[in-house]
Amino acid sequence: MEEQNNIPEQPAQPAQQQPAPLAAKPAGAALWLKIIAGLYAVSLVAAFVVIGKADVAKKSKPKVDLSEIAGISSAKNAVAVVPIYGAISQGSSNRSWERGSQQIAKRIKTLAAKKEVKAIVLDINSPGGSVGSVQEIYDAILRAKAETHKPFVARFGEVSASGGYYVASACDLIVAHPGTITGSIGVIFSVSNLEGLMKKVGVKTDAIKSGKFKDIGSMSREMTSEERKLLQDMIDDSYEQFVAAVSAGRRMPVEKVKELADGRIYTGRQASMNGLVDKLGDLQEALDAAGELAKIGKNPKVLTDSDPFESLFSLMDTKLSLFGSKALSEAVDASPSLEYRWYGH
Amino acid sequence: MNPFSTLENLIERPESLAGAERPEGLGRTGLLGYAAGTLGLFAFMRLSEAVPPGFLSFCVVLGFVLAANFFFAGVIHLFMSLTGEKGDAGRLFLAFGCADMFGALLVPLAFLARVGVLNGFLWLCACALLVLYARVRLVLRLYPVSANKAVLAVWLPYMAVGALFFAAMVYSIAWLVWLVI
Repeated sequence: MEEQNNIPEQPAQPAQQQPAPLAAKPAGAALWLKIIAGLYAVSLVAAFVVIGKADVAKKSKPKVDLSEIAGISSAKNAVAVVPIYGAISQGSSNRSWERGSQQIAKRIKTLAAKKEVKAIVLDINSPGGSVGSVQEIYDAILRAKAETHKPFVARFGEVSASGGYYVASACDLIVAHPGTITGSIGVIFSVSNLEGLMKKVGVKTDAIKSGKFKDIGSMSREMTSEERKLLQDMIDDSYEQFVAAVSAGRRMPVEKVKELADGRIYTGRQASMNGLVDKLGDLQEALDAAGELAKIGKNPKVLTDSDPFESLFSLMDTKLSLFGSKALSEAVDASPSLEYRWYGH
Repeated sequence: MNPFSTLENLIERPESLAGAERPEGLGRTGLLGYAAGTLGLFAFMRLSEAVPPGFLSFCVVLGFVLAANFFFAGVIHLFMSLTGEKGDAGRLFLAFGCADMFGALLVPLAFLARVGVLNGFLWLCACALLVLYARVRLVLRLYPVSANKAVLAVWLPYMAVGALFFAAMVYSIAWLVWLVI
């Protein structure tokens, strides 16, 4: 290999020997190069003929529906299932998969707009949530119903109380297990008073405010009677909205709803006897009922809608949350809010 | 001079590559080599259904091959210059084009892969090794260096790209984790 280092000294030699290789040219590499080039041309032609035939065969083959392989039904007549699990909130993150009620409302709108979706089942297993986010889902259902005239069926899992029931009241039919915990029709606004604790640890907070109610709900002092009255008025108003929604959805007089809506919880069977639930059964029962309401028969095809990227990021997020940062930030965030929520869960 | 004569001249008198004057027709032959090699690679990839059909698709592959080889020849020449060796980057780029003619072998090899004689990826690797070997020989002709240094010089840009890719991957994963948390 070391002999290669001497190469630059050689160029003078071939110049002197030039006539000899030129004389040997016709029978040398040129012939082989031409044969190789010819073979290359032939193989190229053969390759492109094969490629062309393969392309034609591929085009004539019926297309495989990837959605079928992925388990996403693309049936013409299907019932879509929208899961509503856990506490309902708007979400304080700008991550699309963490937008809570906004994401659910968007999903309802998207699924209702799909031609193949004939009915929508809301699979609810939630103790409720903040007033604004619950109403966002409720409004999305009403809007979708008005625009598409498709039936909505609510199915209750383990718990569907307070805000969970508020959402369900917009549906045409409610199906619950006999043992489902439901009801808790009412509003709650919880404020912690840490004044004593803060005094013990020597923390003092001062609020400079533009109006006397600006720091309403503050954890560092006792609530005044004026503030209590103001909050009670707010809660009464939200309660009236809840009662009105249930009354309209269940076609029940307001007075009767108010009798049932003192915040108490019911089992599915008790709720059924009181007219808060239409049918006792499981998810399959709800799907059958949705199929019948949509006139596509029992045991309809089920369509679940999910964005693959959102699912991936959501999965990664769930895994990474195991480090505890998210749980910690949520635990620390104890700011009071107006909620349609049952806290016994 | 037609490309056959240029190639013949290069095969029979490879030392002419490092001569005082650039061998006649080297530019045309080098570019033809890139085109022929890329066509072979394109046919191989089409047979493996790895690239979409069409002339535009071929042009993209050719553009990529030309850009990559331009970069590789530049890096090799820079390495040689920094280590005190004299040579010509333009000639190196065109000589690499001649070496790329071995890419034409990929067409029959693709047929062999399709009939089950070895795996297509193995054939591709074998052909890539052949091209790299030819490149090392050409670097030895163009620069007065030892074989070890020629091998190092040829592999250097590949290693640099590989290291960059790896670093980018690590950074992307770190960024993704930071983004999600």
